[in-house]
Amino acid sequence: MTRFVLTLAWRETRGAWRHFGYFFACITLGVSALVGVGSFADSLERTVARSAKSLMGGDVEIRSTQPLPVDATTLIAESRGGGAQVTRVRELVAMAQSGPSRTQLVELKAVEPGYPFYGALVTDPARPLPALIGDGRALVHESLLARLGLRVGDPLRVGDADLTISGVIVKEPDRAVGVFSLGPRVLIAAADLDRTGLIRPGSRVRYRTLFRLPDGHDAQAFRDRLAEGLPAAQRVTTYTQAQPGLRRFWDQLTMYLGLTGLVALMVGGIGVAVSVNAFVKAKFPAIATMKALGAGWRPLLSAYLLQTALLGLGGSVLGALLGSLVQPLLAPALTRLLPLELTLSFSPRAVLGGLAMGVGVTLLYALWPLLQIRRVPPALILRAEIEPRLHGRRPWAAVIPIAGGLAALALWQAGSWKIGALFAGGLAAALVLLALGARAIIALARRARWRSSAWRQGAANLHRPGSHAGPMLVSLGLAVMLVVSIALLERSLRGELVDRSPGSAPAFFFIDIQPDQAEPFARLVAARGATAPAELTPVVRSRLANVNGTPVATGQKNRLEDAWYLTREYVLTWAKEPPAHNRVVAGRWWTPEEAAREPLISVEEEVARQLGVRIGDTLTFDVQGAPVSARVSSLRHVDWRTFTSNFFVIFSPGALEGAPTTFIATVPARPEQETALQSAVVAAFPNVTAIPVREVLERVTAVVDQIALAVRLVAAFSIGAGLIVMAGALAITRQQRLYQSVILKALGATRGFVSRVFAVEYALLGAAAGVAGSVLAAGLAWAVLRFAFDVPAQWAPATLLAGVLAATGLALLVGVVGTRRLLGRRPLGVLRGE
Amino acid sequence: MDLTMISVRGLSMRLVSGGRGVDVLTDVSLEVPAGQFLAIAGPSGSGKSTLLGLIAGLDQPTAGRIEVAGIEITALDEDALARFRLDHVGYVFQSYHLIPTLTAEENVAVPLELAGEPDAVPRARALLAEVGLTERAHHYPVQLSGGEQQRVAVARAMARRPALLLADEPTGNLDSATGKQIIELLVAVNRRLGRTLVLVTHDAALAAHADRVVTLRDGRIVSDE
Repeated sequence: MTRFVLTLAWRETRGAWRHFGYFFACITLGVSALVGVGSFADSLERTVARSAKSLMGGDVEIRSTQPLPVDATTLIAESRGGGAQVTRVRELVAMAQSGPSRTQLVELKAVEPGYPFYGALVTDPARPLPALIGDGRALVHESLLARLGLRVGDPLRVGDADLTISGVIVKEPDRAVGVFSLGPRVLIAAADLDRTGLIRPGSRVRYRTLFRLPDGHDAQAFRDRLAEGLPAAQRVTTYTQAQPGLRRFWDQLTMYLGLTGLVALMVGGIGVAVSVNAFVKAKFPAIATMKALGAGWRPLLSAYLLQTALLGLGGSVLGALLGSLVQPLLAPALTRLLPLELTLSFSPRAVLGGLAMGVGVTLLYALWPLLQIRRVPPALILRAEIEPRLHGRRPWAAVIPIAGGLAALALWQAGSWKIGALFAGGLAAALVLLALGARAIIALARRARWRSSAWRQGAANLHRPGSHAGPMLVSLGLAVMLVVSIALLERSLRGELVDRSPGSAPAFFFIDIQPDQAEPFARLVAARGATAPAELTPVVRSRLANVNGTPVATGQKNRLEDAWYLTREYVLTWAKEPPAHNRVVAGRWWTPEEAAREPLISVEEEVARQLGVRIGDTLTFDVQGAPVSARVSSLRHVDWRTFTSNFFVIFSPGALEGAPTTFIATVPARPEQETALQSAVVAAFPNVTAIPVREVLERVTAVVDQIALAVRLVAAFSIGAGLIVMAGALAITRQQRLYQSVILKALGATRGFVSRVFAVEYALLGAAAGVAGSVLAAGLAWAVLRFAFDVPAQWAPATLLAGVLAATGLALLVGVVGTRRLLGRRPLGVLRGE
Repeated sequence: MDLTMISVRGLSMRLVSGGRGVDVLTDVSLEVPAGQFLAIAGPSGSGKSTLLGLIAGLDQPTAGRIEVAGIEITALDEDALARFRLDHVGYVFQSYHLIPTLTAEENVAVPLELAGEPDAVPRARALLAEVGLTERAHHYPVQLSGGEQQRVAVARAMARRPALLLADEPTGNLDSATGKQIIELLVAVNRRLGRTLVLVTHDAALAAHADRVVTLRDGRIVSDE
């Protein structure tokens, strides 16, 4: 019996390669998209892992927005005694000045001897670091020279310190930020940072302490020992956790790219189902014969499943090869986001995953049509029927394992229950809606009173028994939905960033304004072109110490990602009235009397949810060593899209009295005034940092563009798969089309007329897929924008119309190319052969 | 009759099948006056269907020339041939060859629509009434019996009132009673409307209805009486 299954599977495959060309192409394309993305993600992961030590600059790092506590010096001394080397790095944003009128936001970094422990700082001139910094010398990134019109050797003022540019930084091992940075790097020695006067209470500084361990030391054990002796605010990580933000970004991006690739495979699966269905139908007489000879349906089904799996595997192998080749195409699209030199490598993991996915999708999609084998009556051999009647009912119960299997594949690809379930649910909903839409559109097309005969016949073709209009519409519609929704998302997000009406966003955020500078600052910006008074908000930097008396640090130390809301820095402020764009959603805002009685706080709703905090709970913050407790009296919804200062936690007035306070200010200004205003502020207050909003938005937009490019590239695979499904369905109906074309010609139709009939059919199909896909895309984009980004969707009729036109055009092209050769056939031979 | 409807001169057709040339027709010449009912008889494989197809311009002969209604169709290109069929020829096939995606009524309307004639659908309905299928107008071919399908095909062939009606074994797939109805329809068209009718059949009884019987064997005319 097994032997029968194997031989039959082989015999059927041997003769069917040509028949399964489109089947093959569908799987190949889908798998190549997956393997392309998977290999890229793997290469990235390996590159990051390989450069992990240089990305961190050491084996272990302590990172905090506060300096190391005094008692940590013992810990450091101990580790030195154990043979470890230690160096400290401080990073902050600051303003660089060159002359009275040229200023630039920079990322300042101060290092001690020993930096970097791993990786190399590449400079021009290429000299050892101690020869380039210290004694008022600074290394700068090339872009700073260009922006301020400077050259090596020129002076540069940062804060209160006058520096001399000693060279250019070509490559910095532990700066893995790419386009996410706020400004060019300026690298100085630790002693010079102290001279700038920028380190004041409340300044925004990142303190990093780097350790290099002697060879053979266990970094994790060392890290755990350090973490035990330090407060939670001091995050201790080994090099394996270097750049968690960067990794999270890439993990998410490659996950979404992977799911985009999976759509191509799911579209391709429809092509598989169509091909297998046609193949099985053609095999009905053979199956009936074998049944008449005594074969049961089980071995027959097994044989054809095995055959399908073999073909799926073949297509997947080819797809994996192509995917490995696609990887270098995907990489350049994302290179600008990548701070590292990516080494592309062949990824066995991605290839095996792709093969499993390809075979899995093939089998699940093929199962439904193959189940017809069970229902082929042996009596079929007694009479040749064009559309044979199968016995028994369709095995609807089989839908459950098929859908479950596909959902499982989606979960596996996503690597996350939530995202995987959303993807599977969304895909299932889209498939059902598209299938219903397809039926409605086909019925409408058939009923419509077409005046032209070619139009009537083209529309009638969609309706014919055994027409593949349904699967074609669903597969192309799915691909259109994906591509159009990406375009809509990109448009809305870009619009949110770029197309703001003038005046809706301030020109600058100014940070680190000292209390005694607040008033003169406000006077200065009013005199120097601000279009409205500066809005000054007090801020106090803090950490969350405990919730209802329970310290937040316990048991959380190893779960960096989950503990983000617990261990992050909280920037606090106080207010009499709820700020604009804030809405109290629970509890209520304090009255002056309530605020006078006890310290109260208002918490942003998402933070409250993450922390599990309710009205009436007490939160204690560590404000640079001093505990400040307050009771939660309201929860707020914050509209984060507004360009004002928004806060997770707001205190009642008076509660933060005496805490080290700085001010931040938003200042609106006309674009042509921006440079002068910035220069004036920096000249008067060298410690105040100006963040130009327009520049930041441009950087973010550049990131969005890069991501969109990569996503579009992967999404193109779905369109390819959708077109292959159409071409495959067209090939299957070739005989019917040839027949129809010669009858029409025998009746006196010209070739032009016949080609119009087919053109109408495909154009209608494309237009229907375009309309259905675009409508769904609009819904999907709306949902994603609403629930994931909290951004209003922009009504984009042009994008939707483009989706419909492109789908129509592409479908038309497939139809015209696919039927062109039918038109030349002479009728007599074809009609006689029928 | 003075007018010649069909004039065939030195017609040969050689088909290549399986790498081997087969002479389907060899040097066939034939004149058919307008209004005649001609039966082409002969055993299967004698070339009679091919001859009929060539007269309709459904293929090009290897050699020889054909004139129909004064038009030298062997000199026409494909689209001109299509136009010629539309204007001059009605064709009834052994296996009906209706367009499966169109209803009976729409099938009959196709030639009228191709010619750009007005009121194609109402006229198609009237034609269906003539063949007794009024109540089947909205059925698809698969929903019709063989005899009904062939009646639709006759109505379609007659739609543009062509001068020449060609029928290729029109009763070959039908039982004898249904076949008789079809032949009666065709003969009525010939007799009442004076259209030229060429009927291909291997059935001697059927051929006996004709004004004239030409018999083919191995691609040559062996008798003409």
